[in-house]
Amino acid sequence: MSGTPWFLVRKHLRVHWVRTTLTVTIVSVALLLFCILTTFVTSLTAAVDQAASNRIVVQSAVSLFVELPLDYHGKIANVPGVESVCKLQWFGGYYQDEKNSFAQFAIDDEVFLQQYENDLEIIDAPPGDGSLLDRVRTAMRADRRAAIVGEGLADKHGWKIGDPVPLTGKIFPKSDGSAWDFTVVGIYIPKRMNVDDQTMYFRFDYLEETLTQEQDQPIGCGTFFVHVAPGHAIDEVIANIDALFVNGPQKTLTSTEAAFSAGFVSMFGNLPLFFGTIGGAIVFAVLFSVVNTMLLAARQRIREAGVMKALGFTNRTVATLMLVESVSICVIGGLVGTGLAWVLSEGIRGVVSVMFPTFAVAPQTMLISLGMSLTIGLLAGLAPTVMLARLKPVEALRSEG
Amino acid sequence: MISFEKVCKTYRRGGEELRVLASLDLEIPAGDFVALMGPSGSGKSTILNLAGGLDTADSGTVSVASETLNRMSSKALAQWRARHTGFVFQSFNLIPVLNAVENVTLPLLNTPLKGAERRKQAEYALGIVGLSDRLKHRPAQLSGGQEQRVAIARAIATDPDVILADEPTGDLDRDTANEVMELLVRLNEELGKTILMVTHDQVAADRAKRTLHLDKGELADGSAA
Repeated sequence: MSGTPWFLVRKHLRVHWVRTTLTVTIVSVALLLFCILTTFVTSLTAAVDQAASNRIVVQSAVSLFVELPLDYHGKIANVPGVESVCKLQWFGGYYQDEKNSFAQFAIDDEVFLQQYENDLEIIDAPPGDGSLLDRVRTAMRADRRAAIVGEGLADKHGWKIGDPVPLTGKIFPKSDGSAWDFTVVGIYIPKRMNVDDQTMYFRFDYLEETLTQEQDQPIGCGTFFVHVAPGHAIDEVIANIDALFVNGPQKTLTSTEAAFSAGFVSMFGNLPLFFGTIGGAIVFAVLFSVVNTMLLAARQRIREAGVMKALGFTNRTVATLMLVESVSICVIGGLVGTGLAWVLSEGIRGVVSVMFPTFAVAPQTMLISLGMSLTIGLLAGLAPTVMLARLKPVEALRSEG
Repeated sequence: MISFEKVCKTYRRGGEELRVLASLDLEIPAGDFVALMGPSGSGKSTILNLAGGLDTADSGTVSVASETLNRMSSKALAQWRARHTGFVFQSFNLIPVLNAVENVTLPLLNTPLKGAERRKQAEYALGIVGLSDRLKHRPAQLSGGQEQRVAIARAIATDPDVILADEPTGDLDRDTANEVMELLVRLNEELGKTILMVTHDQVAADRAKRTLHLDKGELADGSAA
């Protein structure tokens, strides 16, 4: 028989609109920051989480910045269990202006497209017969300056199929100071988070031939990406590769793609802990702020609670109204903050794409954020709810509040 | 209708015990209109709170509308209040964020009435107190007399057996107080409501059918209990 006057919650939120607006704003700003900071962390660790299980990376045991001899390629390919080997060399150039730096890798194009078949999808290629992937394969073979670029990168610079892309090399500058010429023959989108859409891949042999001509000495390669054949133990293959080069000329350090990515992330320092601490502190501070606000609201409503109880509403009903008000404010704040993070995500990505190319607020992050807003609302509403529930009607009616 | 048998009530304040009611016997039949008078601390409001189920007696029996309130849980007491009592307070105690009709609708949420029926009943109650033209006004937009009339409408909206009024004219000027008392007399005479009213105002008490005088938790000589 007993009904709950839910309209009281709406009335209080509307009549006390300044308090409502300020509290919603505090919660929304906190959860906006939480979403953004969490996304920085998840975009850093995405490559670790989404790494291919059958892919291993061979690098110099000294450092990632020390090149391995090119003849390692053939030796690694002969290790039992190795299915394919792809050279992958960081190029480090820029487009037109040093501000336009982005990731560029020289790769063995045919092997790369085969190894990354499940990681990226070609969405644009030169006209011709066959699938988009086949047309890109053909175009890459036909032109040693051919390159494929991520959709985000292509959109940023307005590149289309057939467009020339001159890059000035910082690690590999040309002796005459001119730019390296590339031609866009394919545009891809990532299928997994271990690949981003802000990278350019081009033929390793173009880099190798040009540098060999200019420097008159053999060049090396930063890393070899190796696919392990089905049925072979990855640990065994890793051990066999490293054993092969234990006496040099360069000792190797082979690891799974996940471990390699994790090592790369750790080069930034412990960003997850740093961002997590800041995000946690913000949310914690906001929780106390909202608790304070709701306690104040409850104290101002003691007499009203007494009247409600005198009219026949139970302790539970009176308390529930307070809790629902607290949860409503926080969930509205959560929706606003999380929605803003989602809306701003693309813009932030444009600014931080060099360091965080996969920056995008994940649905999971948004769900956690909304869950946190609900939790903050429940926790903040707990103390005032208990206070109003425990009040005796007589004491409440005597109150000045 | 209202029956107190050997009711005792003691409050503890700052470690000190303050006995407010000492083995009080009181009988108020249905349809009566009783004014309770006495000095501050004599136990008038305590009787009102016990009769309304807002507080519980330390010992003795409090029965209202054929139900004994002593051993009811707080939930059962709340449900009992919703069915049987209507309160009128000195400071009106309207919910400030609600308008007149919403304030009167509030206790009707504890009845089986549906939304439109509740609204109709609230408007009817406001009509009885002469405020049909103030339905959408918030308490802050009403005069003191109008606020008290809204409070009376709220008290009678659920058609309770008993109306408990605590200094209903305490915050009003004489003319407005007379209007409010006129209304309470009408509720008693025309609708047969049993009214128990605490007051310091002799003019208001004179409008009741009888007056009980309390002193130190006991009915004073000459009071007909």
